[in-house]
Amino acid sequence: MILSRIGLGLLTLLVVSIVIFVLTQILPGDTATSVLGQNATPETLAAFRHELGLDRPAALRYLAWLGGVLHGDFGVALTNKQDIVEVLGPRFRNTLFLAGYAALMALPLAVGFGILAAIREGRLTDRLANIVALLAISMPEFFVGYLLILNLSVNHEWFPSLATVGTDTPFGERVWAVTLPAVTLTFLVTAHMLRMTRNSVLSTMSTAYVEMAFLKGLSRARVVTRHALPNAASPVISVIALNLAYLVVGVVVVENVFTYPGVGQYMIDAVSKRDVPVIEACGIVFAGVFITLNTFADVMAIVLNPRLRHPR
Amino acid sequence: MKTAEPPSPGPSGLIVDRRQLLAGAGALGLALGPMGGLARAEDAPKKGGTLRMGMEGGSASDSLDFRTYTDSIHISYGYQIFNGMVEIAQDGTATGELLESWSTKPGATEWVFDVRKGVTFHSGKTLDADDIIYSLNLHRGETKSPAKDLLSAIADIRKLGPNQVGITLSSGNADLPYNLSDYHVLVVPNGFSDWSKPDGTGAYALETFQPGVKVVTRNTGRYWKPNRAWFDSIEIRYIPDVAARTQALISGQVDAVNRLDPKTVGFVLKSPKVDVVQSKGSGNRFAFVAHCDDPSFASNDTRMALKYGIDRQKIVDTVYKGYASIGNDTLIAPSNPYFVPNTPPHSYDPDRAASLYKKAGSPPLQLQVSEGAFSGATDSAVLFQESLKKAGINLDLKRVSADGYWDNVWLKAPFCAVYWGGRPSVDLQLSQTFFSTANWNDSHWRDPGFDKLVVAARIELDPAKRKSMYAEAQHMIADTGGMICYAVGDYLDGYAKKVKGVVPHPRYDMADQRAAEKAWFA
Repeated sequence: MILSRIGLGLLTLLVVSIVIFVLTQILPGDTATSVLGQNATPETLAAFRHELGLDRPAALRYLAWLGGVLHGDFGVALTNKQDIVEVLGPRFRNTLFLAGYAALMALPLAVGFGILAAIREGRLTDRLANIVALLAISMPEFFVGYLLILNLSVNHEWFPSLATVGTDTPFGERVWAVTLPAVTLTFLVTAHMLRMTRNSVLSTMSTAYVEMAFLKGLSRARVVTRHALPNAASPVISVIALNLAYLVVGVVVVENVFTYPGVGQYMIDAVSKRDVPVIEACGIVFAGVFITLNTFADVMAIVLNPRLRHPR
Repeated sequence: MKTAEPPSPGPSGLIVDRRQLLAGAGALGLALGPMGGLARAEDAPKKGGTLRMGMEGGSASDSLDFRTYTDSIHISYGYQIFNGMVEIAQDGTATGELLESWSTKPGATEWVFDVRKGVTFHSGKTLDADDIIYSLNLHRGETKSPAKDLLSAIADIRKLGPNQVGITLSSGNADLPYNLSDYHVLVVPNGFSDWSKPDGTGAYALETFQPGVKVVTRNTGRYWKPNRAWFDSIEIRYIPDVAARTQALISGQVDAVNRLDPKTVGFVLKSPKVDVVQSKGSGNRFAFVAHCDDPSFASNDTRMALKYGIDRQKIVDTVYKGYASIGNDTLIAPSNPYFVPNTPPHSYDPDRAASLYKKAGSPPLQLQVSEGAFSGATDSAVLFQESLKKAGINLDLKRVSADGYWDNVWLKAPFCAVYWGGRPSVDLQLSQTFFSTANWNDSHWRDPGFDKLVVAARIELDPAKRKSMYAEAQHMIADTGGMICYAVGDYLDGYAKKVKGVVPHPRYDMADQRAAEKAWFA
């Protein structure tokens, strides 16, 4: 069962790599034209293509790349010959750090206020939580980012506006530098999870066994946390997984506003320079994150749900 | 102060906000002249510190190989680690760098260059003629180098001695030293090939290279140029977002930034901790370029209608907030000594444009434009469309993708947006773009008379004669060419007040991208 899941995941990665490769071939231009840009002449383009091996057939180039990957070698970037794993590693750790930091703030907020809103359905807390969350998600992330910079780093110099961290940045300093982007992301993902938690709990609340619990004379808070929540968890977990994946793969705008060295900007630069091995590596890392989180959500749903745990 | 009129730079290029100046003068009881910033360059230089530069003009794909340089960050770290063959001095003339001096014979085909003595690479090797020859050959033959065209006239390079190189050109060129000042033409030791470990003669040696994030270099402590290289180390941080860059400067997280936004310079000037250095009329040339052999633009009347039908002043005031000069279609910068100020500027004249356009038979006009060409291209095009409308001319605007613009649109579309960077000599500026056989002749304008004139001017050693030849060449382009160069942008750099020694340079921003070796901390 687990083995087949992993096998399926690997197959997905292979398909993803083929799709990415085909898409990069459909894009107009190649590394030579994108690097030389306005400076290109037919002779310099030909020399550059020959140097990069771009004059070989596309299928051959893909197979050569795949062969390298199967031996654990993601190769070097076409544009600057840097080892892709060496560059991608620290950037991916940065991306995970930012995503983790944001998740640490967003998850308790979303789930906590989601449950609270369900308990106090229709009352002030519920309304307020909803309105604030919707406001936050309605603002584009760069706008939130600039607002935070204006208030917390220009008007009050509490946090730096540049979140440029290196491998040698100490942990405390790193947390401090990444706070503003993490808060921006929290704004972005909280609403979705909060509303899902609230609605999922509320829909469970209208079932017969919950009514029974009320009839037994239990308090609303106890009914929600003890009876409704475990059964409401499964859809909430899928939404959380989706949002966590988004925190990893969808943050390029925030990276740009705060100049954060994550994977997003690396991939964008690679796409604009048609640096196929780098695009492939980033794409596979992103696809891997999605597959892992989805698998994790499925497993959690099974663990939490006795009916799925003991299938008849 | 009218808001439409930007503060004018003092002689040092430093913009002094008038309110700020008056407030300061009042508080100190001083009478300040219009050149409050001039004292900057005169403070005695001193050693020490790390210059943190927040820059745009590079990406995670950057390489140290100078044959791949295209943008500001590359040029900056290139000049930190390596040296050029020839440097462009403050007055725009070619002056010796690793090639110390040179001489040529009449006809300017035979050249002798003396290689500077006593210069060592970071690896300890002493510079000699072989290094120069090897470095030049990186741009010759089968090569990806963008400088290939620039040096294509070189027929032969010979070693005349351990410190002397002879160059023979296939056709004469009195401006050869200017060609050698190109930022791709840097010097590595003979046989060098591992670009991950660059070995140069520059003031700073590479320490960290994380393209897209930061580049750090450290002072070698034995730089050969006197009165240069004051910092202990240099840190370039990639900050592509202009708002983030501006903010990083104001809050003191970096000491210098390039490419300030004309729209927010007024705000930057309010900061008491920051200076703005404006290089007037040497920035990028912004243009719309039409193919002269396309049916729509085949008649010179159409081209002239477009030149009279564009309201240049309005674009300069609106899109560039006054931080640009009006272009006169030749790509020669107003700051250039050969610039012809008396070329009749094609000032906005809707009636004239209308009658010329009718005379040409009112062909359909479509302009392809994208922000990928240059920032402000789309806004300028919309204003162009509006000003043509007043002349009864309908211009169809087609917005195209920024991605792949240089590959798919430029040189291919019959009418599109383009920018041209400054070239160190008039000959390069004219011959790379307007020569009949030029690879980058993006207007498809071909005039044998012009070609002959430019080739003749190239070997003319009498400055007065040369000047009149270049004047004629500029007239030819302006009156019949397909290039509508409507503006020449200003370079706007921002520096923390403690950064001294940065003055506008006639070629590039940030002191010709040599701020790392020219500037110092007060």
